Parts: sequence; structure tokens; C-alpha cells
Amino acid sequence: MTNTVRIIINDQTYDVPAGMNLVDAAKWYANDDIPVFCYHPKMEPVGMCRMCLVEMGTIEKDRATGQVVLDENGQSKVRWMPKLQTACTTTVSDGLVIRTQTQQVQDARQNVVEFLLTSHPLDCPICDKGGECPLQNLTMEHGPGVSRMAFSDKMRLDKHVPLGDLIFLDEERCIQCARCVRFQDEVVGDDVLAFHERGRSLQIITNSEPGFDTYFSGNTTDICPVGALTTADFRFGARPWELTEVPSICPHCPVGCNISLSTRLDRDFGGKTLIKRVMPRQNEQVNEIWICDKGRFGHHFSRSEDRLEDPLVRERSGRLFAKSWTDALAAAAEALKAAGSDVAAIAGSGMSNEDLWALRQLLAGLGSRRLGAWPPTHAGAEVVAQVGVGQGTNLGQLGRGDAVLVIASDLEEEAPIWRLRLKQAADRGAFLLVMNARPTRMDDFAAQTIHYETGEAVQALLALKDSDAWKQLAEAHNLVIVAGAEGLSLDGSRALAGAAANILLETEHVGKPNSGLLAVLPGANAMGLHYLGFTPAATLDIMQNPPKVLIVTQADLLLDDPTAAHWLAKVETIISLDLFASGLTQQLAAVALPIQSFAERDGSYVNGERRVQRFYTAQGPMGQALPAWQALSRLGEQLGQGTAKLSAAAVMVEIAQNVPAFAGVSFKELAKVERQYPDVGGKDLYYGGTAYRNRGGLGIQIPTAADQGQTVARFEAAADEPPKTRGKLVIVPSVRLYNRERTFRPSALVHARVPEAYAEINSADAKKLGIQDGDTVEIAIQNAPALRVRAHVNGGAPKGTVIVPRHLSDTAAPLAVTVGEVSKAEG
Amino acid sequence: MTHILLRGRDIPDIWKYDVYVENGGYEAFKKALSLEPKAVIDEVKASNLRGRGGAGFPTGVKWGFIPQSEPVKYVAVNADESETGTFKDREILETNPHQLIEGALICAWAIQATAVYIYLRGEFWDVAHELDKRIEEARRAGFVGQNIQGTGWSCEVYTHLGAGAYICGEESALLNSLEGKLGQPRVRPPFPAQKGGGLYGEPTVVNNVETLANVPWIITNGAAEYKKIGTEQSAGTKIFCVSGHVAKPGNYELPMGVTLRELLYEHAGGVPGGKAMKAILPSGGSGPIIPATDAVLDTPLTYEDMSKIGSILGSASIIVMDETVDITWVAAKVTKFFKHESCGKCTPCREGTYWLDKVLDRIMAGQAQVSDIELIDNVAKNMQGVTLCALGDFAANPIIYTIKNFRDDFMQHVQKADIKPASKARQAAPAGD
Ligand SMILES: Cc1cc2nc3c(=O)[nH]c(=O)nc-3n(C[C@H](O)[C@H](O)[C@H](O)COP(=O)(O)O)c2cc1C
Ligand code: SF4
Ligand code: SF4
Ligand code: SF4
Ligand code: FES
Repeated sequence: MTNTVRIIINDQTYDVPAGMNLVDAAKWYANDDIPVFCYHPKMEPVGMCRMCLVEMGTIEKDRATGQVVLDENGQSKVRWMPKLQTACTTTVSDGLVIRTQTQQVQDARQNVVEFLLTSHPLDCPICDKGGECPLQNLTMEHGPGVSRMAFSDKMRLDKHVPLGDLIFLDEERCIQCARCVRFQDEVVGDDVLAFHERGRSLQIITNSEPGFDTYFSGNTTDICPVGALTTADFRFGARPWELTEVPSICPHCPVGCNISLSTRLDRDFGGKTLIKRVMPRQNEQVNEIWICDKGRFGHHFSRSEDRLEDPLVRERSGRLFAKSWTDALAAAAEALKAAGSDVAAIAGSGMSNEDLWALRQLLAGLGSRRLGAWPPTHAGAEVVAQVGVGQGTNLGQLGRGDAVLVIASDLEEEAPIWRLRLKQAADRGAFLLVMNARPTRMDDFAAQTIHYETGEAVQALLALKDSDAWKQLAEAHNLVIVAGAEGLSLDGSRALAGAAANILLETEHVGKPNSGLLAVLPGANAMGLHYLGFTPAATLDIMQNPPKVLIVTQADLLLDDPTAAHWLAKVETIISLDLFASGLTQQLAAVALPIQSFAERDGSYVNGERRVQRFYTAQGPMGQALPAWQALSRLGEQLGQGTAKLSAAAVMVEIAQNVPAFAGVSFKELAKVERQYPDVGGKDLYYGGTAYRNRGGLGIQIPTAADQGQTVARFEAAADEPPKTRGKLVIVPSVRLYNRERTFRPSALVHARVPEAYAEINSADAKKLGIQDGDTVEIAIQNAPALRVRAHVNGGAPKGTVIVPRHLSDTAAPLAVTVGEVSKAEG
Repeated sequence: MTHILLRGRDIPDIWKYDVYVENGGYEAFKKALSLEPKAVIDEVKASNLRGRGGAGFPTGVKWGFIPQSEPVKYVAVNADESETGTFKDREILETNPHQLIEGALICAWAIQATAVYIYLRGEFWDVAHELDKRIEEARRAGFVGQNIQGTGWSCEVYTHLGAGAYICGEESALLNSLEGKLGQPRVRPPFPAQKGGGLYGEPTVVNNVETLANVPWIITNGAAEYKKIGTEQSAGTKIFCVSGHVAKPGNYELPMGVTLRELLYEHAGGVPGGKAMKAILPSGGSGPIIPATDAVLDTPLTYEDMSKIGSILGSASIIVMDETVDITWVAAKVTKFFKHESCGKCTPCREGTYWLDKVLDRIMAGQAQVSDIELIDNVAKNMQGVTLCALGDFAANPIIYTIKNFRDDFMQHVQKADIKPASKARQAAPAGD
């Protein structure tokens, strides 16, 4: 360590990094847990609770000589401060001396706990935090044991204050530590919480409309040191000590947040193991100790009423009948045999690596290599494999001297935790440049924003060289480019990723940690799709040249693509492996096989940063559903392709042997953990909150070509052809985090936050069409039923462009950029 | 003697710009502008002027802390004047406002500030309104704004009204409030004078109105002359705000070192009705309350002598109580004030003031026991020295010192109560304020 200082804690000497917070240093280096309530290692200290008082002094030095002054015993003399000092507001410095265990310190801790408890309701027996509560724990350790406050003198306050739809406040339990407020201000940048009033009347309020309007509210319940903030999902649902923790990976977006599924056997689930709540699991390189509210509250789909529970086969009558696995697999095998090699597969990005391998092997056995990735919206994965962010990248380390460019993505909606971490990178001084055709939330945190013409992302990127921002990017110590695909065709997205890669190559920002490309790919395992050979280009080919038999796995083509019915009409047989009974399964599948969700099985995903991460079996099974890899492998057995695999781990062994990217990957390696800073999840819940320590594995990051020292050639980066409008409007699909996808809709508690289906229309276009803000409009594109939505005319769309968020209604919105007509709907 | 600060008493219309200038107004500022900023700081340092807002910190030293390398620096004038029994800044603001503006401008020049913010308590809205006009007069004369007096240096002067919170007189809470944030003190260091600690994070001098009003006189007459007034460690005059049981309450500007006896008996006319003086609150509600003994009355009013008798000079807002006053009632009343004014940011003060108030209510209602006196004494001591700002100590003082110095007054309340089981007595407690 280069820059260290020497400090003394309880007579022991430690060398610690200069500039470190004293509470952090004492914990990390001296294993001394100084009790805290308001301090949190991820936020600035505020010195509010006064729990961290310690005796503090400095080693006396002779002013003239700079020599340490010795006392009569030859020990260095310490100049003690007359009063106790708060450790949390102290930065370590050479010669700092503290005592944390003396009577004076113990008395001070007892006094602070006594003060905190004076007006505390002490309703631990009915408190959700009971059992994992910092106040409870510190009371046991330091509290006075008796109450001197007359019971009748206690404050009586409201115990069920909804701060929005997701979080409830118990005013009596709040100890005014401001962690929640500071989290929203400092970490998230949505300052929707505040203190109201003063003195003992100080209370947390929300000042947004709707209340607590942020995608990150759930994290406040983890860091709240008492049971003042609870989630609508979990409150009164279970006691913490009844829960079993199962490490998992969030299945909702490319960030791949590490989560912990708190489960227990539950009456409400037929006595089977049930997910009671989703909690963050620490992975400092991926999500630190945070998750977004979609990850936290979006687990209900795993038990949705819509889950497909039995294998189904469509009879001549056109009706689906439940069959045994044996019969259903036989029916599927028969159709496949008849098709020969005229078979293709489309796999959704929620499929695990093991599933994808089994699917690929099945098709290979049939002589087909037509492997489509769904949804086919972003072709950046292949570029990421070359020049993605370097191995060891940690967005939490970006800061002064670094630069981040976000282009063609609404990051808050598409990858919330990336957005949160990049916002903090900007706070730490990284130059953040945000480019899009329309304003997005990320603009609020940007040092500079560039709004280009719809579809001209590549041109805008190429033009950067002549702009003022270029120097900031080129000369940055680290440069991360985050490329989305909004407003681009599939080719356009490939070109954009390529143009971004060229910048990274040219400025030598590849093959090293904290620099490189991030593609905002759809879903949790889009990189896995890439590495296992599934491409969006193959999907487009399948759309154009339909095969006889199409295997569709965990992808609802009908709900995702309004033209799907049109092109699927040419497919003879559809075999659907799905979580849900509705949609494609119900309408078009000849054979439907029920598969298990991420919650019921083990497997692995590759996140957007190419980290292979393992998830474990948490929840009891639904009906007869099997993990997809197993269903596919048994189908292969039926087709004479060899015996079915026995476990996901065994499938991974095969992947590692055959796919170079996975060399060295095994379930055992994926499960490896090491000590992470800050040290959260121990018994000292008061330090980091209730985020879980990582016991399930930190994962393995696949190296890029650049990481491996290969020379990467420049990419083709021809500008996207803007769609020919011929007087029509350009329809640009966009992503909303809260939507009506089947993996999110069952989370009813979030319904109020899912926007009503709408389209953003430019005021000039709206005027021409006689449309006003709030009107119902119809959007018509080729080969698709009309989409009815509410018109928003409020500056959200560039001229000539209509922004249509996907998945907000049961009618599919356009999947890819296209042209269409917008008209005011009658009635 | 003639006044340095309350010159409105000698020169009736000195609040008017013309009258102020006729009497040498803004000459000190012009003189300061002809000096190097550092020389101005040195002069103020040499004068031994100490902050009149309560803490008595040497003013020149504070100005000297400002890092000159920083391009943006501010002056914040503390006109929050909310200590109980304090009404000195108001008289300066109302009757001699240009002298404050001039003092603030000299400070601004000395630290090369780009703006002066005068933060006034919310109730001073009419004062602020008038002050705005005075600032305009100074601007028209070329003392405020761009390129002041051709020096090339520019400085704005603004007034800002608080919303009625005692805590916003505390310098870091004042800065938060100025920034539009919740009026709560900040963690220090960084101190206001340091980068990161001042207004919008820029180095800032925060000075009391009275402190700055001294500065023009010092620049005009020199530090040596100033030091001739008062004592070695407490130079200059001080405005003593005298209220309570005296014949002539009001502001008295006198050289420091005057004894309490002289101030209270000769100037303020002693206790009316021939009653005996019982207690003195030398610094409003926040300082240690002391019994009016001969030794106390013979104490010179200086920073050093007041601390010798276990009290403080503070803002010198002296509240006098005669023998009829029940000191327990005083403790209860002052505690209500601090309970109401605690910002709530830190635990001991937020919870302690609330708790003390509850028990004191019960004591006043005759429903308490002797142990309750020990309780509040202990609770107050647990608040001492552990809070984020000094208000926690202020709130503990009235309890600790009233019990220490006037225990009999407390015993009367608990002795009157018939000793019931604690729980019953408590149920009968009043609900508070
Ligand atoms: C609770 C509290 C209230 C205060 N109120 C005032 C006030 O109303 N006016 C004031 O000038 N100083 C007040 N102070 C002192 C200021 O914090 C600060 O010391 C002063 O403004 C510095 O100016 P000076 O050096 O000129 O005295 C208060 C301090 C505390 C802790
Ligand atoms: S709600 Fe919780 S986190 Fe927020 S201030 Fe209260 S105790 Fe702290
Ligand atoms: S950011 Fe993405 S991966 Fe993380 S919790 Fe949210 S949806 Fe899940
Ligand atoms: S001591 Fe009182 S006024 Fe000062 S910060 Fe703490 S709660 Fe606020
Ligand atoms: S004051 Fe240090 S942890 Fe709260």
C-alpha cells in the first residue's frame, strides 16, 4: 500500500490507507465494530446519531523537532481530546489514537441507546425488522436494560404511513438517522424523501407525486436501522429467523444483480417452499449492495396463475390437452423427425446457459444451426465479446479523470443499477456524456448531453471527433461506452456498437479494467445467448425464411412482436417451452412443455459485463414443470441423441469443454467468494444493513478478445439507413422498467406504478394530426393489428418520431424501429 | 461615554445615509480599500476584537483562516438574533444600519469576498425591508456592486430572511438555511472558513452583526485605540441587553470589564420595589444560571472573568430575576424553549429535550418525586458534550445549573406532592405543550 497512515486502536498499531473513514478502518483492519446508526459505508457521514463516540487523541510530537514525545514510561505521549468524538466523522490520520472499549465509551453508548429508546415503541414482537434489527442488537449489547422514561410520556405517532405504493413508514420506529433520505439524495439522485418539522417532531416525508417516486425505494428498507421502513411486499409476511436464504440472480435485466431469495415453507403455497422476499446480495463489482425495485418486487411471476403446469399437446380439434411428459415428448419428437433438418429455435434471454446448450445440442443433432436470440433488438453482444469492459471492471471505481458515454439507451429504464452506479461515477468526477435522440433521465446527471436526429446515433458518434467532448473521452484515464439500441435497426445497433468499439480501440481503452464497451442488451442472459451461438441475426432470418418446425423457448413472440402472427403463419409446427400458458402456447403451439423459472432450479446467466453467475434452487416446483435443459435433453434422448443429462452442473461441464468462452467455468468455481469491502451482512447489521453477504459466489468474468491480448480489428460502422418514411412517422419502440410483461405483471403491488399505454408525439406532428395531449390514438404499422394508446405531447419525442414504449398493454407494440401512421381514435 | 455601536443614541438620524456620511461614514471602508486586504486583517487581529455572537472567537484570526487561493469566498452576517433576552443586533440594524453594512464590506474586502449575505431572523422582515433600502443607498454611492471605488473588486450585498428557527443562528445551520436546505447544523470540520465548509462549499466568514459593526471604528481609529477600551483579553465595548426584574431594562453599550453590579444597579436601576436579586441568566437561556451573590455581582463582565465564576459572557443578554421567582419554573420554561428549538438532528438533544420537558411538566404539576430531580439532572448531564452542536449543551445548562444552584426551589415542588406510586403519578401528567 503506498499511502498509509499509522493509527492506534485500543493500544494496537495499524497501518491503514490515508483518507479512510475511521469506522471503516476500525472494522476492516482492527475487526473492531464501532456501533453506528446513521453512518453507512456507502454514504457521507453526518454525525447525527452519536452512537459512534470514542475516546480520541493524537500522538504528541515536539513542535520544534517533530519527534514523538515520550512519557515517563518511555511510551509515546497521547494528547487526548477533552470530549468523546464521533468516529464516523473522523478521517484517519497519522498518529490518531482511539479507545473504543473504555467505561466512558460504554457509558456514552448506553446513553445514546437510552435516548433512542425513550420514544421508541419497542414493538419488536410485531416488527418486521425484529430479528435482524440494528437497534434491537445494539440495545442488547449496549442498552441500559431498564427504561427510565415513563411509558405515558412516549410519543404516539402514525404507524402505517404509505410513502407510495411500495414502502410503509412507521413514524414511531424512525430514529431520524436520515439514511433513507441520504440514500435517495446521494446514491440515487432522486431526492424524493425529506425531513419535515424539527426536534422530536422531525419526521420522514415523501415530497414526490406519486409518493416515493424512484426505482430504488426498496434499498431504504435494507439500510433503515430500525423497522421504520418496510416493503408492502414483505411486511407482516414472516419473521426473519424463519427464512432460508438462497443465492440467486435477478432475471430481469442485463445488470445481473446478485440477490438472495428469502424462503420458507408456506401455507399459502401448499406447504411448499415460497419466496417471501428478494434481498440484495453483495457483489461489489456488479450491484454492490443495491437492487432496483423491479428486482425486489418482480418475483411473483414465478408463482403466477398463468404458469404452465402440464405438458400440452394440440389435438386435431385445435384444442390443447394435458399429457404426460412421455406423451408430449413423443409428440414433439415425431414432429421433429418429420421435419428433418428444417428446424430452427428461438430462445428468450431469460434462458440459462445450461438451457441454451441443451437446445443447441438438440438442434445440432437434427442437423440445424438456426439458433435465434430473442428479442432481436440489439446486435452488440458480438462486439462486447471483443472489446467489452475489461476483466475486473468495477463501475464503482470510475471517478475523476474517467469518462462514460451513454448512447441510444434510456438506462434508468433498461438497466437501473448501471444507471445508479454511473450516476455516482459522475458524482465522483467522471465525465458523463449522454447521447440520445430524446431526453432521458440520464441527462440529469450528465456533464454534457447531445440530442441527435432519430436513427442517427452512429453519425452522432462519428461526429464526436470534431466536438469539444472528444478530448474528455480520448484523454480519459478510463473510458466506458454504454451502447443501447433505441431508435436503431438491428444492423444499426451493430454499427453503433462497432463505432463505439472503434473509439475505444483508437483511444486505447480496451483490454483493461474499467474501460471498454457495455451493451444494453435485453434480458438477463443476452450475453449467454451470444456465447452459446444464438444470434438476433438468425432470428431475423427465421422470420424471413420460416422453418417447418420452430422451437420457441421462454419467449412470447406474440406479445413482443405485433407482426409475429403474420410471419409465424408460415411455420408448420411450433414447439413451445414456456413458463406461461397464455400467448404463444395457448394460441399457436402444437406441443407445449412447462419449464421452471429461475426460482425453482439451478443454473447460470452471463450478465452484460460478461460475468457468469450462478443461481440456486429456491422455490418449490410448479406443477410438472422441468428445467428447460432437462426437458430438451430428454427430448434429445427420444430422438436418439444419447442419454439425458442429470444435472445443470453436468451440463456446465460440457459447456466448459466445448465453448472456449466458458473454459475453466464450473459450478464450483462460480460459487467461490472472497471478503468484500465494505464488510456487510455480518452480525453487525447496523453497519451495512440487511443486504446479504455473498455466500453463493461472485461469478467469473469471461475475458474479451482484447483482454486476452488479441488484436482486434476495426469494426464496420456504416451509418444506419434511416427508415424511408414516405410521409409516415418513424415509430421508435422504447423500454419501460415497469410494464405488463408476463414476468412482471403478476407483481400486483407495482400495478399502480405501471404507466398506462402511451406514445410520445412531438407537438408539431400532433398539431398536424389534430392530436392533443391525453387523446387516445391508434398506431398502425404494416402486418400488425393497430395499437391503441394515450398520446403524450410534452416534449418527449423529436419531430417526425413517435416513441412507443413496449409492453404497456396486451396488444404488442412494435418490436423494432419502423414507420407507421398515427391517428386520433374515435371514442 | 459616547457610543461606538449604538451611535443612534448620540446622533439621532444616523440611520440616514447622508447623516451617516456627514459623521465620517464609509471613510473607514475607503481607508480599508487603500490598504492591502492582509493589512486589514492584521489590524483587526491586533485590535483583539472577539466575536459578539456568543463564542467570543477572535475575529481577525477567523478572517485569516480564509484560503486566499480560492476564487469564490463569502461573508455571511449573522443577524438571526434569537437567543432569549438578546435585542442588541436589532438596535444596530434599526438605528445604525450603515455601520453594519460598512463593517461587512470591510470584512468582504479583507477576505476578497464576492458577496455578503445578511441572514436575518424571519421576524425581522420589516428590518430587512429597510436594510434593503440602505444597501441600495450604499450601492448608489458606489460602495456595493461592480468595481467598487475603482478598485476593480466587485461585491454584492444581499439580505435573506430565515423562517423562525433559533438553530439557524448557529453558523453552519445558518449556511444550510441560506442554501435553501433544512436548517440543521453541519458536521465540522470542514469549518465555514475552509473549502467545503462554507456557503455552497466556498470559504465563508460568519460574523455577528455587533462584531462587524465594531470594524469601521477599528479601521478609522486603529487597533491600538480600540484596545484601550475594555480589558486585555476583552477589548472594546459590548452591548449588554438587560431585561427582567430591573427598573430600566434595555441595551447598554459599555466598555468590557464593567461589573455586573455597576451594570445592573447603576445603569439598569436595580430591582424595582426594593426586592432582592435572586438569580442572573448572563447569556439568555443558554448559559449557566447563577445566584446573584456579592461575589457574582462584583465580577467584571469579560470573557475571562465570567468563565472564572462558572458561567459565560456569551451574547451578554442578561436576564435578572428577583426573589419572587421560582427557579424551577424558569428551568421548565427554558427547557420548553429548547425542546421547541432543537433541530432534531442528533439523538441526545432531540430526545433529551423532549424527555426533560415531560418530567419538568410533572414537577411543575406537583406530581413528581425526589428521584425525578436526580433523573433530569442525570439526563441533562448525559446530553452534555456529546451533541453535534452547542444547542445540546445550552439545553442541558439550565437544568444542571438550576439544580446545582437552586436545589431548594426544586425540593419545594416535589415535597408538596403526596408520594403516590410512580405509575399513577405519571398517568396524571399533563400532555405537554
Ligand atoms: C444554537 C446556537 C444559536 C446561535 N445563535 C446565534 C445568533 O442568533 N446570532 C449570532 O450572532 N450567533 C449565534 N450563534 C453563534 C454562531 O454559531 C457563531 O458562533 C457566530 O455567528 C460567529 O460570529 P462571531 O464570531 O462574530 O460571534 C449561535 C450558536 C449556537 C450554537
Ligand atoms: S425511516 Fe429509517 S432510515 Fe429513514 S430516518 Fe427513519 S430510521 Fe433512518
Ligand atoms: S437492475 Fe436489473 S438486474 Fe438489478 S435488480 Fe434491477 S432489474 Fe434486476
Ligand atoms: S444539538 Fe440539538 S440543535 Fe444541535 S444538531 Fe443536535 S439536535 Fe440539532
Ligand atoms: S454519529 Fe457516528 S454513526 Fe451516527
